[in-house]
Amino acid sequence: MSIIELENVTKTFGTVVAVNELSLSVPKGSIYGFIGPNGSGKTTTIRMIMKIFYPDAGTILVNGKPHNGQRLENVGYLPEERGLYKKMKVQDVLQFHGELSGGTDLKTRIAYWLDLLDLKEYALKKVETLSKGMRQKLQFIATIMTEPEIIILDEPFSGLDPVNAEILKDAILNLQQKGSTIIFSTHDMNMAEKMCDNIFMIYKGHKVLDGTLSQIQDQYGADTLKVQTEKGVPALDGIKGISKINNFGKIQEIRIEEGTDPQKILAAVMKNTPVYKFEITRPSLNDIFIRIAAPDRKEVNHA
Amino acid sequence: MRKIIVLFKREYLSAVKTKSFIISLVLVPILMAGSFVTFLIMENNQDTTDKNFLVMDHSGLVTEVLQKAANERNENEIYNSVSGEKVLPAYYLEFVSPDYSDPVQQKIELSDRIRAKEIHALIEIGSDVLHPSDSTDKDFIRYYSETGFMDNVRGWFSNAINNHLRMLRVEALNLDPGISSSLFAWTNVEGMRLADVDKKTGETINAERANELQSFIVPYAMVILMFMLTLMSAVPLLSSVMEEKAEKIAEVLLGTVTPFQFMAGKVLGGIGVGLTVAAVYITGALITLGNLDLGNVLPTGILPWFFVYLVLYILMVGSGMAALGATCNDNKDVQSLQFPAMFPVIFPLFVIVPIISNPAGPFATTLALLPPFTPTVMMIRLATPVTIPVWQPVLGLLLVILFTVFSVWVGARIFRTAILIQGQKPSVGNLFKYAFRN
Repeated sequence: MSIIELENVTKTFGTVVAVNELSLSVPKGSIYGFIGPNGSGKTTTIRMIMKIFYPDAGTILVNGKPHNGQRLENVGYLPEERGLYKKMKVQDVLQFHGELSGGTDLKTRIAYWLDLLDLKEYALKKVETLSKGMRQKLQFIATIMTEPEIIILDEPFSGLDPVNAEILKDAILNLQQKGSTIIFSTHDMNMAEKMCDNIFMIYKGHKVLDGTLSQIQDQYGADTLKVQTEKGVPALDGIKGISKINNFGKIQEIRIEEGTDPQKILAAVMKNTPVYKFEITRPSLNDIFIRIAAPDRKEVNHA
Repeated sequence: MRKIIVLFKREYLSAVKTKSFIISLVLVPILMAGSFVTFLIMENNQDTTDKNFLVMDHSGLVTEVLQKAANERNENEIYNSVSGEKVLPAYYLEFVSPDYSDPVQQKIELSDRIRAKEIHALIEIGSDVLHPSDSTDKDFIRYYSETGFMDNVRGWFSNAINNHLRMLRVEALNLDPGISSSLFAWTNVEGMRLADVDKKTGETINAERANELQSFIVPYAMVILMFMLTLMSAVPLLSSVMEEKAEKIAEVLLGTVTPFQFMAGKVLGGIGVGLTVAAVYITGALITLGNLDLGNVLPTGILPWFFVYLVLYILMVGSGMAALGATCNDNKDVQSLQFPAMFPVIFPLFVIVPIISNPAGPFATTLALLPPFTPTVMMIRLATPVTIPVWQPVLGLLLVILFTVFSVWVGARIFRTAILIQGQKPSVGNLFKYAFRN
């Protein structure tokens, strides 16, 4: 069952078409990842789902209901731009957002979440004394503390160190287990691959990908080789059938031309250098993203 | 409604719980009382340095009399009768004969003595001063000093000389000197309030003499109070909304609340602040006036009008300020809008005096029925002892309500669009577009 349905939704700003005839269906209880380059229409789509923007055409149903001029209830929204009252105390900020969301038993919830995200000792400090990462976590708590049915997070991991990103990831998965549907946009392809049941990619206002990771990868087939050699990139020079090399330093990700036999590539590489690792694989989400968003980038891509 | 209340509560507490609010709440009356006390002290602390004057009497009529008057004054008037302390300066006169060969040079020399602070002023009395006529230019009394215009010593000379000249004229008519005092009696027209019947007790109330406090200070204080309350409650919304937009707080909140709820919460917060301050000051004023036995000075009947107009005024100005704040991106934008936005609030302050002096005149009446000015101007008029026909504040109120509904509607539309738009300047064209284009 879909909890959010978009049908042929279009939004323009002046002459710019931000979102073009977008249709999307978010299943209840899923984690749905929105990816796409900056300025491709992710935030506009999210703002339309949140009913902050009205679409110019098309319909958006949330919980089966169209827009009625009111804000959505039981939806937590973490916008891309973070903003908190700097002079307020951490605890008061959460109380304020909790009351706005109509939450009950706020004191217990605030204590629980502050403890879970390592902010307990800052409860009585003013927001302006917190670091950027702490503010991010605080804003996250303000969004999800009432455990709403739908949680929409615009770039929840940006600016977080790996430890805090991990804490946040666990919290999101925990909320999913409790029954929330989660939509989040991200530039962290690794996180999207690991966490999302469904991935949706928007590029220049158009939907270019929509499905599970496996469905998306199937569209691109097993055209990717991961190799680890002694010489690295120079060992791959001049080998026919390679269309693109993604250089990760120790490992190179190679995309082969259609119809090329991977074994021939292996043989050619082995002539140049000892090979430590050779793996035939499907393209990563990161690779697919770059293929769509930057198809004309130069041959060797130092990712 | 629940969301509006939550927003209101935050807005109100964040304004009221600050140190600066509490300090200004206490400081303003202290400053006002302070300036009043300073005024009283200054008035009682006259300059008591003795003053020397030169008198050049072309008429030869007043020399003796002036000397006598100065002596009497120095003996009887400059000391406090109880403490014996000197409270006024003594006047010492020096008489000079006019130099008809070179009068200009003599004036210059005497003026130099004044400039050297050796003497305070030169009084020159024309030769025809006893019988002034259009055909002569010698019927003057002139006072030369460095502070000629502001100097109140002029009044003393004017009185002493004119009283004597009058006596000389009476004598010339051979009238009984006994009637001369009543001959020059002058009776002022006294300003009285109207007689009335107490509606509760049915007793008649005799007309009382109108006083300065009632006719001028009360309306003046009322309008200043209303201006100050607006300044403390509605005007800050301009920069606070800009900050919320610039710091992306608006974006966060707009996921949960509609722009209208957001604006309503803020404006209601402003009203809360305004009413709090008003309650504190008016209670304070009532207690103070009560203790000073001046309880009847404040026309308590107009207080309901005051609060109704105050609430509508903050609503009107506050929604406008919030809407304008939503169109600003930074402090520079706020500064460029501050004056034009404040103009309707400041304007009535420039016309207080003409309104107080003729509250029922066409200027005051027209201005009082123009909604942006109604709350302040109507309050000034209601606070004066002049009877304002009841239909006027009622009509004014209706017009203000209509205008407030309109300004809240326009404000909300501008706010709704502008709050999420970054980088657009708050130009008139943009404001119009936000307000009236879908």
